Amino acid sequence: MLGKLKPLALAAAAASLCLAGGAASAKVEGDTIVLGAAVSVTGKYSTNGKHTMNGYNLAIETINAAGGVEVAGKTYKLEIVYYDDESTPARGAQLAERLISQDGIKFLLGPYSSGLTKAIAPVTEKYGIPMVEGNGASRSLFTQGYKYLFAVLSTSEQYLAGAISLAAEKAIAEGRKPQDLTVALAFENDPFSQDVRAGVIDDASTYGIRVVIDDKLPKELNDMSATLTKVKAVKPDILVVSGHSKGAATAIKQIADMKVDVPILALTHCEAADVIGKFGAKADYTLCATQWAETMSYSDDLFGSAADYAKTFEAKFGYVPPYQAAESSASVQTFVDAFQRAGSFETDAVRDALAATDMETFYGNIKFDESGKNIAKPMALRQVQNGSLVVVAPTKWAAAEMIYPRPKWSDR
Amino acid sequence: MTAAAKSPAKSPAKSSAKTLATYAVIAGAGLLGPLVLPAFTTQFAFLWVMVTFALTWDVLGGQMGYNSFGNVVYFGIGMYVCAVVQVAPFTDLAEYNSAYGTQDIGLTSLQYYAGLGAGCLVAALVAVVVAFVLGSGILGLRGHYFAICTLGLGIAAGEIAAGIDIIGAGSGMVTPLYPGEIGTRNRFFYYLCFALAVVTFLALRRLYAGRFGLAINAIRDDEDKAEAMGLHTTRYKTIAWCIAAFFLAISGGLVGNIVGFIDPTDVAFAGATFGVWMVLMAILGGKGTMWGPVLGAAIFHVTQELFWIYLLGWQRVALGVLIVLIVVFFPQGIIGWLRERYPHRFGRRIEAASGEAEEPAQ
Repeated sequence: MLGKLKPLALAAAAASLCLAGGAASAKVEGDTIVLGAAVSVTGKYSTNGKHTMNGYNLAIETINAAGGVEVAGKTYKLEIVYYDDESTPARGAQLAERLISQDGIKFLLGPYSSGLTKAIAPVTEKYGIPMVEGNGASRSLFTQGYKYLFAVLSTSEQYLAGAISLAAEKAIAEGRKPQDLTVALAFENDPFSQDVRAGVIDDASTYGIRVVIDDKLPKELNDMSATLTKVKAVKPDILVVSGHSKGAATAIKQIADMKVDVPILALTHCEAADVIGKFGAKADYTLCATQWAETMSYSDDLFGSAADYAKTFEAKFGYVPPYQAAESSASVQTFVDAFQRAGSFETDAVRDALAATDMETFYGNIKFDESGKNIAKPMALRQVQNGSLVVVAPTKWAAAEMIYPRPKWSDR
Repeated sequence: MTAAAKSPAKSPAKSSAKTLATYAVIAGAGLLGPLVLPAFTTQFAFLWVMVTFALTWDVLGGQMGYNSFGNVVYFGIGMYVCAVVQVAPFTDLAEYNSAYGTQDIGLTSLQYYAGLGAGCLVAALVAVVVAFVLGSGILGLRGHYFAICTLGLGIAAGEIAAGIDIIGAGSGMVTPLYPGEIGTRNRFFYYLCFALAVVTFLALRRLYAGRFGLAINAIRDDEDKAEAMGLHTTRYKTIAWCIAAFFLAISGGLVGNIVGFIDPTDVAFAGATFGVWMVLMAILGGKGTMWGPVLGAAIFHVTQELFWIYLLGWQRVALGVLIVLIVVFFPQGIIGWLRERYPHRFGRRIEAASGEAEEPAQ
């Protein structure tokens, strides 16, 4: 009967798993520090997963080329072990588990998106493995009391809050009351976008701005014409859309196709979706939330200024780095800084060094609060003007005034 | 294995000795696995979850001939219900799941284990009730119509869960942190998953050996005839679905706690991954057999894990190629192929001409 087959299959299974595990390496081998990361190579976040990976790779190559990392008198090179989480949280958690328990990795870099980070953080926390991430912005990550999670980016409720203040300022300048403004919201139903929405709603209520449309968009976001039809009918003053790269591309395309006129359009992920390259003039006048812009005046010894980083990145990968890549590079820098200050590879020593981080990078200042989020770097808002992104807020970096209102499609 | 019952060629004693040996080997491997290879505990746990998936799918898909693409609904329901039962008695659920933040509620060991136990139980019961209601409604449909209807169920359930704020809507829900040590946690869930797979297997084997098994096989072979013979077909079909739902819901409760984060469409009602894998594994091993789903799940899980390591970015393509190869070369699944190739090992004798050829597959 099959009796003989089953044990055989099991033995084969066990043997092959052993083989798989045999290739694993320890966290610090000889003169190499091995970091681990599960990123989205395939699936719905694959575009941003690629930006994340490129950011990590550029950082370790630059650091290695500059001589590596000196820890307690010895110089080490950096290396990263990658797995593909396929943009699904279930996979992400399993891969984090594998990186830690099978590959023996002691230091993790974050995945792409809040959802994946939410799935991986409980795992790193459980094992007491420090994780520095640059792509999980949801506030709910930082209310769990996680001790081993550090994020170099600004949390998501800050993403588009600036757009609301800007609209209110414009209304006051025009002699209208902000209370008379109306806002339409269209957000993907995922941890990140829903948190962005919470921030926008908070801000809208402080100004007394009325929310007239509040739609949840599906995760596989390819169509939002139903929402846009409502927008055409209701005519709000502000339209805010967030849905990762697919959301940004869908919004720009369909707003142009349907000729939706709205005085202010604010999005997340314009750069990552390359809306200017893909849609040209159709993307004009859009407000884009950004964690970082290459025109900002930050700098460090490794990459030089933000503009230098952008140049290096473009020379290597052939496109202008979106902030997703920049914050990923900064995550690696944060780890390196912590290794150097800790002077050891004890996970708890590194964790404590991370908690005490206070550094300046090309990406912005990094200083973590109790919960592990970066509180030293503000969000910025850029507008697409004549095919390029120009910072319009906050005023410290503003290179131009916001063009307001968006010209009607019939006038373009 | 049930072939033993209708195996005139072999002495029952010899057959049962072999069966016992098989069970002993599997039980040994299952019990010792995480002790020998502790680093792989979670992957092994998922192996048993996959076995449960394939076995429960086979109740309808194999034994009864009703292809369901919606079984993942019960998995998802189990996951959510279990998590809610674990959390709700100790904190305000809406606040726990709000986008503003989930709190670490720091359960004591007793609260955690009691919550998990109660959670799995309630999850199973809720899933059975849902299966009963859904089954009474749609198990009147046959063939493709039923398949398409269940496909819709799976998708709808994910979207509905993504809209319910109290369970975190699209932001998902975090299950409570395990109160003990890391190694213990993994082993704890491993043995639960192992036990669940074993109980599922034994329960199904028992059921298939009796009247219930004959009834659902009769439905598969000719439903009109079965009905004409006086079988309450809809009742049997509904019961079959309830049984699948019962075990799936428990596996859902466990997986929710292993993963630690419940996303409505990507973890709980993950039709495109878990939902499809259930079908694939059962067909790969050989649907309508007792060991087919087990073997299919083991092979699928191991190849998948290997592809993930060695074919970064191409793992899905490799998996797709594998599926095509299997369908082309083993259309009956692996067990089905073996049975055709070595019929005597399955207790069948090819007597003069094709005397037994029309014996219903078991």
